[in-house]
This record gives sequence, C-alpha cells and structure tokens, in this order.
Amino acid sequence: MKIAYYPGCSLHSTGIEYDMSTRQVCSALGIELAEIKDWLCCGSSPAHQCDEVMSVALPAKNLALAKQTTDSNEVCAPCASCYSRLKIAQQKMQDPKTKKDIEQVIDTTCPDDIKVFHMLDLITEKVDDNLIRQKVSKPLKDIKVACYYGCLMTRPPKATGKDNFENPSDMDRLIEIIGAEPVDWNLKTFCCGAAFALTQTDVVLDLTRQILQDALASDADVISVGCPLCHANLDMRQQQINKKFNTDFNIPIFYFTELMGLSFGVDPKLLGINKHITNVNDFLEERALL
Amino acid sequence: MKVESKNIIIDPGLAEEIKKRSGENVFLCYQCKKCAAGCPNRKFMDASPTELMRKVQLGMTDDAMKDNTIWYCLSCQTCTARCPQDIDIAHVVDTLRIIVQEKGVKADTKNSRLFNMIWMKMLRFTGRIYEVALTGMLNTFTGKPFKDMDLGIKMIKSGKLKLFPSIKRTSEMMKMFKRAKKLKK
Repeated sequence: MKIAYYPGCSLHSTGIEYDMSTRQVCSALGIELAEIKDWLCCGSSPAHQCDEVMSVALPAKNLALAKQTTDSNEVCAPCASCYSRLKIAQQKMQDPKTKKDIEQVIDTTCPDDIKVFHMLDLITEKVDDNLIRQKVSKPLKDIKVACYYGCLMTRPPKATGKDNFENPSDMDRLIEIIGAEPVDWNLKTFCCGAAFALTQTDVVLDLTRQILQDALASDADVISVGCPLCHANLDMRQQQINKKFNTDFNIPIFYFTELMGLSFGVDPKLLGINKHITNVNDFLEERALL
Repeated sequence: MKVESKNIIIDPGLAEEIKKRSGENVFLCYQCKKCAAGCPNRKFMDASPTELMRKVQLGMTDDAMKDNTIWYCLSCQTCTARCPQDIDIAHVVDTLRIIVQEKGVKADTKNSRLFNMIWMKMLRFTGRIYEVALTGMLNTFTGKPFKDMDLGIKMIKSGKLKLFPSIKRTSEMMKMFKRAKKLKK
C-alpha cells in the first residue's frame, strides 16, 4: 500500500520521534510512505487566526502537491493539527466559489478525490488487526495506558467525519491489540493548550497538570498520544508543573507509534525513544522493554 | 449596543460582518451555555463564549473585541462540536480575531498578534516553520529572551531541534501570499 506522507514542520524537529517511529511501524506493516516533495507548512493555528484565505490555501496547495509528486489519492498526516487543517480545507472547498478562489491563489487545481487520514486512522482503518497481531513479538503486558486523543484528531466532527468525538476508542483498541491495557479516564479529548506553550505558558501548565493528574488517578502507567504538540506539552513541561504546583509527576509520554514499535520488537533507538525529555528508560528497563 | 435614556439600540453591524466573512449566523445562538460549560479555558476569560456570542448579537463591538475572551480561545473546537444550533463558534472567534488584527484595534492580544505575525512572515519566506527562530524571535520581542532556555538546551542535546532551517518554494509562497491579498480586496 503506497500513500502520500505529509509529516509537517513538527515532525522534522520537536516531534522527530513520531516521524522515526511512524516510519518504522509503517515499514513493518507494509505501508509505503511517499513523502510529498517540498511540502509546505499547513499554516496551523496562526493562519486560521489571522488569514482566512491562506488557512485554506496552504493545505490545498499541499493536497495538490501530494497528487503531483506522489501520484497517490490518499494522504496521511501524523500531526493532529496538520490533519485537521487538511480536513477543514477540504470541507471549505466543497463550496464551489471558495474552491475557485483558492485554486486561483495556489495557481493549480486542487483534486477533490483525495482522502486524508490521520496516522491512527490509517492504521486502524486500513490495516487488518490480525496483521498487527502477527507483528507483535513483545506484547506490552501489564502496562496500563491512558490513550490521549486531544482536540484535533476528532474535532470538529463536521470536518473529520468522526461521530464518536466525545469518546473516541480507536487508539484504545489498538493498544489492546499490542498487549497493553487501556484505562478508562475522563480527559481523553481535553485540550493540552497547544501553541499557547509559547505565548502563555501558564495556561498550558494548568491544562497539562489536569491531564497528568487524571491519568494518574485512573491508574495509568503511561500516556499514549498521536500529536506532536500534545507530546511536547505533556513530555517537556512536567518539571515546570512540578515546580509550580508542588507535584511529583514523572509519567512517560509515548506516541502510539512508539508503543507499537516497542511491541514489534524494534530497537528503541530507531524509534527515537532516547529523545524524550521526561525520562522513560527506567520505566522501560523495569518492564524489560529495552 | 447603545443605551440612550429609554432607548436601546441594537446594532447588527458586527454580526453582519461576521456573517459576511465566515458565513456563521450568530443570531442562531439561544444562550444554552453548552459552549461555556465545555470550554477548558473559561476560567481565564473575562466573558464566557456564551456571553461573547450575546455581545456580538447585541452589537457590543468594543466589548467583544477588547475582552480577553477571544485571545484565550485555544481553538480546541469543543464549543463548535457541541453547539446544538450548529454554529461554528471557534470560527466566529477566529473571525473576530482577524477583524481585530486587520483593523489594528488596540487590544491586549496576549502576544498572539505578535506570534501570528512572526509565523506568517516566516512562512512567506521559508515555506516551513523553523521552531528555533520562531521561539527565539517571540521571546526576544516579548522581553524574555531566556524563557525556556533550559528546555531548549535539553532539546538540542537530544536532537529535537534542527540547527538549520529548511527553505522550500519561497517564490511560490510569496506569489500565493500576494494573490491571497489581492483576493481579499
């Protein structure tokens, strides 16, 4: 299965582990990722906050590039924000006038028949559960995982087409397949504060603290995420939270692709696990996963 | 909204501008407060999203634009997903933010105006976001050049920060921005 791959800016820097683990897992599952040639930023939040036209034109340009450079009708974006912007752009371009205007801006046609997947959807919808089960050589036994979806993997449902946006369960099912135990918890679709980390860090510390607290209260050992911004906030800010709120958080935060890679027996270094800010080595050693 | 002795004048101008720009009809809102109840950042806001919608309905332009509400919106889409009247509330907030920025309205935007400006300028010339420069510029302009320096060092050590930017499709990008600007006029 060949699919156009749109990593997005984060996966080339702060979220590099996500890129590494995604590539490992996809190659194990027989998914060929064809990176879009010279892809551009999707515009993310700043674009939709200050320039309505560019917020649709940038994703549209990338969809056009996907078709031109990879000849695939399916695009996969691991970053929840990129995924959401691509989906919202497609939704907005259902209006013929908007589509015409945007195509004028990007100076090329934007294909209608491209299907956009988030990495989690790609794996849960297009790959057979049994194939994943076959690949699991080190089941993640006795590890309790809080599956954190955040905002943009499911919302807004009108653009993403998800009807279970209040209580998504795809990642939970995947985590079960690789042998771990998903926990029931409250904040699986709560917001982590995203890019507020740079402009108003206090907001992020407050929201992230609530997420970590709830995961711990639900008896989770680790949190599994599918978005580079969620990972950055949850993984990097724990020390600052501990200092500010006098807490003692030290929770390993994994991308779901890293957990999959670990269960497939891939070398943790190839998954980028040594790049986390909150130390995960002790946990992995304790569970004999290193 | 203008209150003059016994006459209350409701000004639909702001609601109309939002409708024209975004297609969202704020008059559909019947103040059920579902958006306020689900908003993760409500406690930081001067007015809740529900109150914001009411202010727009009544044409209280100054309040709607100068309350910190729109600048504390995380764009998490919870309100949009839950609105029983199917109003894309996050889109209304975005539209208000765009109006404030385009018209240069004086408001405490909590550095968002600056952040957005740096982001879009960078995009125009490099095609992709280079996080080191983005954070560096933002911290410098906000007078906190050493903010999160400890994290930055850890990130460089673990290879999480790229040391050089990748520059893609600059001329195409600049043309796109130019055509987008023309389209808006």
